[in-house]
Amino acid sequence: MLAGRRRHGHRKAGVIPETLLPVLTGIAWPAAIAVAWTVGEIAYRWLSLPRISGYGVTGFIMAANQGGFLPDPSGGPVALLAHFAFALILFELGYRINLRWLRVNPWLGASSVLEAVSTFAAVFIVAILFAVPLVPALLLSALAMSTSPAAVLRVANELRSAGQVTERLLHLTAFNCVFSVLFFKAVVGYWVLASAGSAFGAVWNSLVVVAVSTAIGALFGVAVPALLRPLGDADRNATIAFAVATLLLTALTHALAFSPLLAALAFGLVARHRRVILSQAQSNFGTLGDLLTVLLFVFVAASLDWRPGPTGIALALAVITVRLAVKAVATTVFARLSGITWRKGALTGLAMTPMSVLVIVLLEETSHLKLYALDQVAGLAVIVVLLEVIGPLVTQRALIWAGETRQVENR
Amino acid sequence: MPLGSFKAGEALTVGVELELQLVNWTDFDLSASASDILHLLEGRPFPGEAKLEITESMIEIATDVHHHHEQLLGQLRSIRDALVVACDRLNVAVCGGGTHPFQRWSDQRISAKPRFMQLSSLYGYLAKQFTVFGQHVHIGCASANQSLYLLHALNRYLPHFIALSASSPFFQGVDTRFDSARLNSVFAFPLSGRAPLIFEWDEFEHDYFAKMEKTGVVESMKDFYWDIRPKPEYGTIELRVCDTPLTVDRAAALAAYLQALCRMLLQGEEPDPVEDDYLVYNYNRFQACRFGLDGVLVHPRSNRSLSLRDDILATVERLAPHAAALGSEAALDELQQEVVAQGNHASFLRQQFVEVGSVQGMVDAAVTLFRKGRSK
Repeated sequence: MLAGRRRHGHRKAGVIPETLLPVLTGIAWPAAIAVAWTVGEIAYRWLSLPRISGYGVTGFIMAANQGGFLPDPSGGPVALLAHFAFALILFELGYRINLRWLRVNPWLGASSVLEAVSTFAAVFIVAILFAVPLVPALLLSALAMSTSPAAVLRVANELRSAGQVTERLLHLTAFNCVFSVLFFKAVVGYWVLASAGSAFGAVWNSLVVVAVSTAIGALFGVAVPALLRPLGDADRNATIAFAVATLLLTALTHALAFSPLLAALAFGLVARHRRVILSQAQSNFGTLGDLLTVLLFVFVAASLDWRPGPTGIALALAVITVRLAVKAVATTVFARLSGITWRKGALTGLAMTPMSVLVIVLLEETSHLKLYALDQVAGLAVIVVLLEVIGPLVTQRALIWAGETRQVENR
Repeated sequence: MPLGSFKAGEALTVGVELELQLVNWTDFDLSASASDILHLLEGRPFPGEAKLEITESMIEIATDVHHHHEQLLGQLRSIRDALVVACDRLNVAVCGGGTHPFQRWSDQRISAKPRFMQLSSLYGYLAKQFTVFGQHVHIGCASANQSLYLLHALNRYLPHFIALSASSPFFQGVDTRFDSARLNSVFAFPLSGRAPLIFEWDEFEHDYFAKMEKTGVVESMKDFYWDIRPKPEYGTIELRVCDTPLTVDRAAALAAYLQALCRMLLQGEEPDPVEDDYLVYNYNRFQACRFGLDGVLVHPRSNRSLSLRDDILATVERLAPHAAALGSEAALDELQQEVVAQGNHASFLRQQFVEVGSVQGMVDAAVTLFRKGRSK
């Protein structure tokens, strides 16, 4: 706990000879991934917990901020890899979204708007009650709207779950991420305007970032399928081609300080509607996706600075409870109108509990702005840690209760 | 459970059951959505019947009893329209076809109903491999003995139905080179194939069924997976060899063809069936499964080789007066077109595979074809 408190986790070389230090730093990340993977498998096989919960716990314990050996990865090459891992997940999520469904079943859209907006409002009220200042309260509320696409997609794929709860979970998650990013960027724009008084900065960091990121992603969505088509045999080539394109897209948007997150989502969405069909064997981007997921979840846990006071914990628990309740109620309200049972409606809301990854990546994305405002929300790290572990578990239970996973059969 | 009496009714009435595929719109793999769809349909007017099948990615629809092709087709189209609307609300696509071309049977989820769970534990992987999709046609019989007569008299014509309906060229991701790969899955069941040659219902009930029941191997007629079987509680015979075609129009035409054929047979235009007819039965059945309309049959009586295509065309011609009497000329015209010009749905699917280059594209085409001609 002593050395770990330092922001970048450089440990004093008292115990370890100077010469060994670079070597140890060099193997820290691969070692962390190995440990996390092992814990994830044990959690999955022996305790039937989602693997990603295992990765999260391990990453958190190993992180320098908690006194572990893993340096804070923010801003480094590991961060870029994590962004890539997340972009692959967002691409896949975007690819599974059918916009036509919103037209055929408008109640789905209504549920989406209701759950996102009411989560924002409810969390904002909680934050204000806890005397969080205006801008941090708004940022916290915007972040709380989102469900973690990484968690829900990984859990759904791990369970091979299929059915209305799964389908709606993925769609509502994609939509609330978009809402969350839009609200977040809008608040950032407002904050830039209020603190620096720069109207240009405000517009640039909200509207322009959102519009250009989406446009670049959409451009990829048109261009990549168009390039693939003449190659033929779309069936086999698509996965690696999409992965390579996503890597390029992430690096590009990252370098230009746009949003890799929005770009990847837009890429997947547009590519889907251009109809080059990704076959099922390649969900999760296969082994590549599995590997990067370990890295992503360790990264998220390791970038947290966990110094909660009692208020921080109280605020976190209040936000988690309120958010869960609001989402479950909001998805239940229109359940029957949108064609499912009350029960499946409520389970959809419950399954939307995870929120960690998007939050961390979104914060990383805006770290160049030095959003000190967020440091005032002591509870955020607690929320992220708790939900990184508990969130996937809740999603897993909800999908099992909905009966949408494969049953374990007796032989 | 004893067999129960045969509820004889009006001869030559017709009804159709279709097992349909539920697939997702993203990668067109099977989607375990039957319960969700049935829940949505519950308590709303639905122009027919819809029920659960052995795995959650299948849904079975059934028509009422009809006298004429036109009404049957009308009802099938309304059922299709209503089903497509319901599926759209849940973001699920629905289509015909005897097999799903690339689903993996190990991924399928057995429906939560006692009978299906029991079948699954008895047959193991066969039950999941049975995620294949057939059309069943019922023809009403005036008496129990008539049903047994018809069942056997049809033996020579069975390959016609296999070839005309064939729509399962791909299975587990590869082209099987069969037009109907589905029937190979059915054939794996121990009680599949043909019914024993018995013409008296009393004998069938007491000597055959009762004995089989005593062995403990069967409990009801449902445990026989015969190509054609009597269905005493409906008073019908049930033809089970057809793949579900890609369109409901084709399904109605096949039913009308069977109806006209039964009318001809009931008028005694053919010699009575004998055990030796079955010598070539499995071979002919294989020819139809493997080569579809290009198959070559052996006539059970003359032992001559006949092209299946020519045999169907000749039969269609012979049936003209019966089709006229039943009002199903349009149906026979459609089948004639299929044989002469378009080919069966297996060849349609293969052509899609060549054009699009992926098995997913094939399902996409099947989904589009199924929805075609819907009234808005």
